[in-house]
Formats: sequence, C-alpha cells, structure tokens
Amino acid sequence: MVQPNSRGFAAGTREPLLRVDDLHVEFDTPRGTVEAVGGISFEVDPDQTVAVVGESGSGKSVTALAILRLLEGGWISGGQVHWDGQDLVTADATAMRRVRGDDIAMIFQDPMTSLDPLYPIGNQIVEAIRLHRRISRRAARERAIELLEQVGIPDPRARVRSYPHQLSGGQRQRVMIAIALACSPRLLIADEPTTALDVTIEAQVLELIRELQREYHTALLLVTHDMGVVAEMADWVVVFYAGQVVEQGPAARVLGAPRHPYTEALLSAVPTPATDKALPLTVIDGAVPGLADMPPGCRFRARCAHAWQRCTDEPPLFELGEGRQSRCWLREGSEMDGAPVLPAADLSPAAGREVS
Amino acid sequence: MTEYVVRRLLYGVLIVGLVTVFVFLVLRLIPGDVVRLQLANAPGVGEAQIDELTAALGLDQPLHAQLVTFLGDALHGDFGTSFQSQEPVTSLVAERLPITLQLGAMAILIGILAGVPLGLLSAVRHNSWLDQGMRLVSVAGISIPNFWLGLLLVTYLALYFGWSPPLVYQGPGQDLESNLLHMILPALALGASTMASIARMLRSSLLEVLHSNFIRAVRAKGAPETLVIFKHGVRNSVVPVFTLLGLQIGNILGGTVILESIFGIPGMGMLIFEAVQMRDYPVVLGCVVVYGAVFVLINLVVDLLYGVIDPRIRYARR
Ligand SMILES: Nc1ncnc2c1ncn2[C@@H]1O[C@H](COP(=O)(O)OP(=O)(O)OP(=O)(O)O)[C@@H](O)[C@H]1O
Ligand SMILES: [Mg+2]
Repeated sequence: MVQPNSRGFAAGTREPLLRVDDLHVEFDTPRGTVEAVGGISFEVDPDQTVAVVGESGSGKSVTALAILRLLEGGWISGGQVHWDGQDLVTADATAMRRVRGDDIAMIFQDPMTSLDPLYPIGNQIVEAIRLHRRISRRAARERAIELLEQVGIPDPRARVRSYPHQLSGGQRQRVMIAIALACSPRLLIADEPTTALDVTIEAQVLELIRELQREYHTALLLVTHDMGVVAEMADWVVVFYAGQVVEQGPAARVLGAPRHPYTEALLSAVPTPATDKALPLTVIDGAVPGLADMPPGCRFRARCAHAWQRCTDEPPLFELGEGRQSRCWLREGSEMDGAPVLPAADLSPAAGREVS
Repeated sequence: MTEYVVRRLLYGVLIVGLVTVFVFLVLRLIPGDVVRLQLANAPGVGEAQIDELTAALGLDQPLHAQLVTFLGDALHGDFGTSFQSQEPVTSLVAERLPITLQLGAMAILIGILAGVPLGLLSAVRHNSWLDQGMRLVSVAGISIPNFWLGLLLVTYLALYFGWSPPLVYQGPGQDLESNLLHMILPALALGASTMASIARMLRSSLLEVLHSNFIRAVRAKGAPETLVIFKHGVRNSVVPVFTLLGLQIGNILGGTVILESIFGIPGMGMLIFEAVQMRDYPVVLGCVVVYGAVFVLINLVVDLLYGVIDPRIRYARR
C-alpha cells in the first residue's frame, strides 16, 4: 500500500519516522463546532528538522498537540498519525503513554508555567526517566544531574534541588529540554520554544536544541513564527494557513522561491538588514478568517495580492516535484512531469481523493 | 520563621483580648441581673441581701473598674470563679475543653474524609451524574443549619430505626463505645457543611489545576492519570482547601455551642450556653478566651502548613 515517495532525497524507499495524514481537529465553541485543523498531511524523517510556520491561530499548536493526543476541549475528527507501525489516533491509552516522553517528547511555549511549582526540578527530571526506564532512584538522579549539565545549567549537583521559581525563564526552558531528552526520544516536538524568552536567550536555547538534536539523533518538529529560525535550522518547511497546509517543501527552496502568495507575504514581512528602516514594517493586511465563518474557496483569497476569479473554488495541493506542494491555482499546470495533481494525501492509501 | 510565629502569636493575643473586651461589654447589655437570677428561687430576699451579693461579686464597682480588674487578673491566668458553682473558671474550662476538642476533631475528620474523595471524584469525572449529584448535596450541606440537621438526624434515626444516642454522657476513658455513639450524630451534623465546602473547593481548584500547562507537560512525559492527579493535581489544589478549613474551624466551634446543648454533651459549648443563661460572666469570658485561642492557634498551624505544601511561600516580614 505504500505509494512511491515523491520527495527527491527520500528516494521513495525509506519510511518516514512520523507521517501525519489528513489530520482533522474539531473544537466545540459557543458558536458551534469548528474545525481548527482541516486535513493536514506532512512527514518527518529520522534526524530531520521540520519547521511548521504560519500566523497565530493557524493550527500549529493544535496539530502538535494532536500528534501526542494532548488536546483539551477538542478532538481528532479524522486522519491518521503513523508512528512506528501504529496509528496514534486510534492507539489505546497505554500505548499512548509509552510513546509520550519515550519515543516522542514535547517542549512547550511557556517555560514559566510548564514545570510543577511544588517539586524540585531534579524530582521532575527523575520522574520523566523513571516513567520509562527501570532504574533506581539514585541512578536516575545521577542521570538528571548529567542532563542538567548537558543543557547548560551551572552547578547542576546543587541545582537539582532548586524549585522552578528559583530559575529564570531561560533556565526553566533548559530544564524542559532536559526532561524532553531524558529518554532519548526519536522525535522532539518543540512548540515555539523561545517565544517567551528574550532574544539573546532565544539564540542560546535554539543552539542548544540543535546541538542536542545531533547528539541524540533526534528528529525535530519545530513550530515557529520566525522565518530566520526556519532558514537556520530547518530541512523541510510546512506553511500553515487557517488550519491547512498551503505550501511545503525543502526549506532552502521554499524560502528561496516561495510558490504560494501567503509564503511570499510571510517572507516579505521579515525585516532584513537591508530593509529601509524609515518604511513601516511590512505586515500582511487583514486577518485570518474566523474558523466559524470560513469563506468557500481559497482561504487566503481575501488577503491575497494575486487573487482572481478561480480562487472562489477551493484549490487542491498541487505537486511541484521533490515533494513540494502549493495550494494555489497559480500553480495549476506547473506540476512536475509525471507527478499527477494530487491532494495533500498523496502518500496515503486514499491518494487521489481531493481534500476539501 | 520563628519571628513570623512570634508575631502571629502576639497578634493572636491582641485579637483574643479585643474579642474578650467586646464580649465583656456586650454581656452587660443583655437584660437580666445575675444577682436577681441567682436569688430568684430563694424566698423572702430583701434588698440588703441583693446589695450584699452584688458587692461580693464585685458588681457594685463602675464598669471600667471591673474591666480593668478582670483584664489584670486574666493576664495573670486568673479568670475568677463561677458565680454559679464557685469553682475556678480555669478548672471548669480545663475539664470541658477536651470534650469539645474531641467533638470538633471528629467533625473535621468527617468533613475531610468525606469531602476530599467527593471533591476529587467530581473533578475527575466532572459533569458526570456523580458530579451533578455531589454539587446538589453540597449546596444542601452548606445551606442546612447544623443544629437543624442534628435534630433531623436524631428524629429520623429514632423514628425509623428506633435508635437514639445514649442518654448519659460517658467520657472516652469510661466507655469508648458509648462515647462515640453519643458524639457521632452531632459530629455528623457539624461536619456536613465542612464536607460540602471542602468538596466544592477541591473540585473547582483541582479542575483549574488539571487544565494548567504543567499538567499537560506531565502528561507529555507519559505519566499515567493516577500520577497526574495525585502527585501533581491534588497537591497543587490543596492550598485553597486549607484556607477554607481554617475558616471552617470557626463554624465548627460556633456549632458546638448549640449542638452540645441539644445532645447533652458536657463540653465547653454547653458550659458557655448555660453560663450565658445564668449571666455567669466569668465563665462566659473564660470560654470566649479559650474559643478564641483555639481558633487563632489552628489558623496559625494552617498558615504554617502552606509553607510545607508550597515552596514558594516564605514567611518573610510582611
Ligand atoms: N481549546 C480550544 N477551544 C476552541 N478553539 C480552540 C482551542 N484551542 C485552539 N483553538 C482554535 O484553534 C485554532 C488554532 O489554534 P492554535 O493554538 O493551533 O494556533 P497556533 O497556530 O498555534 O497559533 P499561535 O502562533 O498563536 O500559537 C485557533 O483558531 C484557536 O482559536
Ligand atoms: Mg501555538
């Protein structure tokens, strides 16, 4: 049932580490049920860094949480999450617990509130280790000290006894990274791990993640707002807009020559040293449409500089070769030879069905 | 820390002192004269005897002089003697206090033992029928006056099960079974509202904690729900429950006054109840001081426990 992988470098033979396939997530709101994530598909290969970018509210966190089934108040209404020969969407609670923290670890946006305030950090790292490894408390504690040292906490032997409130935001995020790496996961999901930190700390923490990723051979799914971070860290980039993938492809290619007006707009919104400081910052006009009143057709239409009458129909994801995809009618007809026009689900058994 | 405790104790003494002065003055506003009440049944008493007794009790002095004398003695641990039985107030109270403490402790224990699991269950299974039921019961528990609940309990148990508590009070040392049977109904009546408040408070506080970021992070580690709820959830939601418990102590102590009288339990509650009726000022004031001290001390212990639960709380000078 495995279809040939259209990504050039994956050569079609290697199974990806994680395959998110046509994922849908719904929430109950006072205004009725809304679909926050409407059919997302992407893959993460071993050791790879995949960046997920998109404006606030585009469904990045919801997707990240849905992979580990940590959603609150919402539910997965369709699709699969393939991991290690199983579908995490239908896995039972015990199987899910085994995956969480051991195979797939997660770091969150806000380090200030991500640690239990009532326990010393050592205790919380030891807990992460002993949930998955049968080792003594003492050995786990030694390992915790080692991890603290690796994430760059000074004087780790004394610091294991510190409480979260005695650490700075940057240090807490380092502790979260230590917890995430405690069981050497194969995939690390980092949901905007540095947005709550100031700029100098941000660079340090990202560098730390990158170093440890190499050392632990961990793939990284990095949610971020920052195109600069994408350029520096990502192998692959997935661009989200209003709960859908609008473009994805190798990071260098997508950043170098975006194939969707939204990606273009995102990139031009990034100030560079060359940007004339006298001009106002470029922002994308308008706002993401509300989930409850999503217009038919292309979801970016109302804000798009290139919109034309075709855009009132919902565009499928066009295949552009090397696994690149764009959800824009302007790409119709520019698909690569031999690569049929396929929706996002081109890697799934349901290939050929249009995602609507 | 020591400094904090000392300062709190000094405040405590001040508060109890002020309350005592207040009660001292209020007592004199209640119509009825202790001397006339005492001599009411003696036939043929003349004004001379009344004056004599009034002077003997020190009641002929001006009010402020009486207050000063009382406070001076009280500071030396002398609360005078009962107008009624002529026994020293301190020994009367010492005799009755353990009984009231036992009743109060039983009530709190019932409140905690029933309230905590109820609150836990309804938070974990929130919006289930169990949760709805618990919320109904707790509204009832909070709004039904405890003496009325006590009366209901006695009446219904007697009516439908032909059971009533022992008539004569026995100390726990004399006959433990009879003692417990005697205490259980008033303790239930007193503990009901504590149980209901604890259940409600724990439910809402645990629900809030379970939606916090660090709980999600604990789940992301692969922790089973039991660990999530008991290690991280409950401990983080317990501080407001403790605050509530400190306040409930006041309710329970107040409740002992009327419930002890209803159930014929010779504790401090009954002592102060009778003393008020007889305008036995020294006894009333002695009881007020002890009730106040118990309340202040228990609340101090509660505040110190916060620090044990939550490392962020430090008893700095405030
Ligand atoms: N618990 C919830 N109940 C209702 N709607 C929700 C809930 N959580 C998320 N949503 C909705 O889902 C959509 C996607 O939210 P999500 O948090 O994934 O955005 P995001 O891309 O991570 O944004 P940000 O960059 O601000 O973190 C939003 O429109 C949000 O309103
Ligand atoms: Mg987010």
